[in-house]
Amino acid sequence: MTHVGFNAYASFSTSIHTRVEAAQCADSSNQELYGKNLTDKIICLPKTTGSTSAGAVWQRVARMGVAPKAMLFSQQIDSLAAGGLIVADVWVGKRICAVDQLGDEFLESVKDGDRIVIREDGTVTITSGQQTEPRGRV
Amino acid sequence: MTDVDNLKIKLAQEERDILRGKQGPTMQKVMKTVVLYGEALGAERLVDIEGEGHFVIPWASPGIAPPLEMLDELVAAGLKTKHPFTLDPNAPLDFESLGLRPEQEQALEHMYRDQARYDERMLQLGLRDTDAYTCNPYLPEVGNIPKRGTILAWSESACAVFANSVLGARTNRNGAIMDLLSNIVGKTPLAGLLTDEGRRATWLVEVRTAKLPHPQLLGAAIGRKVLEDVPFIVGLDCFLGSGLSEETLDYLQEMGAACATHGAVGLYHVENITPEAVDQGTGLLAPDHATYVIDDQELQDLMASYLVMWANKEAKPEKCYIGCPHLSLRQLYWWTDKIHDALQARRQSQLAIETVIFAAPQVLQKFKADAKAHERLKRAGVKLSVTCAETLFEGGVSAGEAVITNSNKLRAYSTARFFPDKELVEILVSGEIRGKLK
Repeated sequence: MTHVGFNAYASFSTSIHTRVEAAQCADSSNQELYGKNLTDKIICLPKTTGSTSAGAVWQRVARMGVAPKAMLFSQQIDSLAAGGLIVADVWVGKRICAVDQLGDEFLESVKDGDRIVIREDGTVTITSGQQTEPRGRV
Repeated sequence: MTDVDNLKIKLAQEERDILRGKQGPTMQKVMKTVVLYGEALGAERLVDIEGEGHFVIPWASPGIAPPLEMLDELVAAGLKTKHPFTLDPNAPLDFESLGLRPEQEQALEHMYRDQARYDERMLQLGLRDTDAYTCNPYLPEVGNIPKRGTILAWSESACAVFANSVLGARTNRNGAIMDLLSNIVGKTPLAGLLTDEGRRATWLVEVRTAKLPHPQLLGAAIGRKVLEDVPFIVGLDCFLGSGLSEETLDYLQEMGAACATHGAVGLYHVENITPEAVDQGTGLLAPDHATYVIDDQELQDLMASYLVMWANKEAKPEKCYIGCPHLSLRQLYWWTDKIHDALQARRQSQLAIETVIFAAPQVLQKFKADAKAHERLKRAGVKLSVTCAETLFEGGVSAGEAVITNSNKLRAYSTARFFPDKELVEILVSGEIRGKLK
């Protein structure tokens, strides 16, 4: 979970060149995520930020099998994340679930380690910790 | 992810035909990618791209560039961009300019082993020429200078924000791969920064510093605060003057690069300086905008928050990289003079730290034609390179090395330590980080 923008390029910069079992966040500017495992996790964030190289990063982590399971955006999805996740889907066949517009309250209520259920209609349920059910755009 | 059968975006007949496969399966896939992108951005429709491209995908480096198989597929289908394009700086294979250790050169050679094939594919797909590699393409020497209002689909965060803000062109911040695919179909979603509404400022940023702040520190502060939003910046014209002088263009290029790195800023307006701000003034501000005041303390706190990422935090600096983004010719002369003056003041002939300056091939060619200036830099021990400093850290090639830089962008993507220009010159001549800078 990160309250600041998720810099995808900086976060995956050490995981895209060598085969790793799991991608550890390498963005030292992100004190909430730095050093944490991102693979198969649900990343809760406001938006992604940083280099436009991130477009290819998503495709790469998808091909390497170290992508996150889902991306839950409190704000509207940004162009870099949208483009990157769509390229990973259309050209690699790896769908990383994305729900956006979940609202600031969602980001305030979710905590690291919470279990989250994402439904096809965009409803997100935090099943541990504080129970909330915001609905976003899938 | 939304499927193509259930779209809100309005498509023209030709676009629907391509989506149904009328121009072959590869073009169908390219169009599907661009259409889904438009849908995700909430675009009403796609619009024609009107100018040359600039993309962030010059390196055959996994994770940054499209994979070769994808490029092969595009080329085999006979596809290329509707307009020529320029690319970010080429791969770091100009070893004579970089002063690397043999094992670093070997690692880079291995990492970029497919570069020649990749370069060939880029030319086949529409690269303007074999020298069209820089992250400062709108310099007069390079000449990819879109006119105000031109619809583009650029990537490279530093370039997209400059094209929007300073040149008044219209592009979203497109990611790697999406840049190429959009320019192949020649269409981009009418959304975000392509619309008048998307270009309105939702932040008023008041710069209240005692002197002109370092552009990449100011940019980082703005980016971190406003993320993807559009800031309207006031207080810079008292330092830079009105309008776009050469110095101001360089300042804004650096500030924008940092805004885009530390946030996701694709457009900023600067009161009395950038074209839309000159025309519309504070009328660009949305009525319910937020305000962010930046003073000297704010920038000092930000600078103090940066971690030292060197393997040995107390090490003496080993190398210095200047020119992220690539320097303009004016900046190259500025550094030449500063280095020369600092060496003379200490009666030294060479810098104490191995230094590489990065600029576009066309800029370096022009600079080298000035034998006196070029000789000054050479005598000081400075090397000149056309590559990107950031690539020297890819794959851990320079990880942990005691590298210093004047670029807050490079700091963010590497283990280099950032110092403002004046302090950096002091370190370059003395070889040491002293006093408060430690």
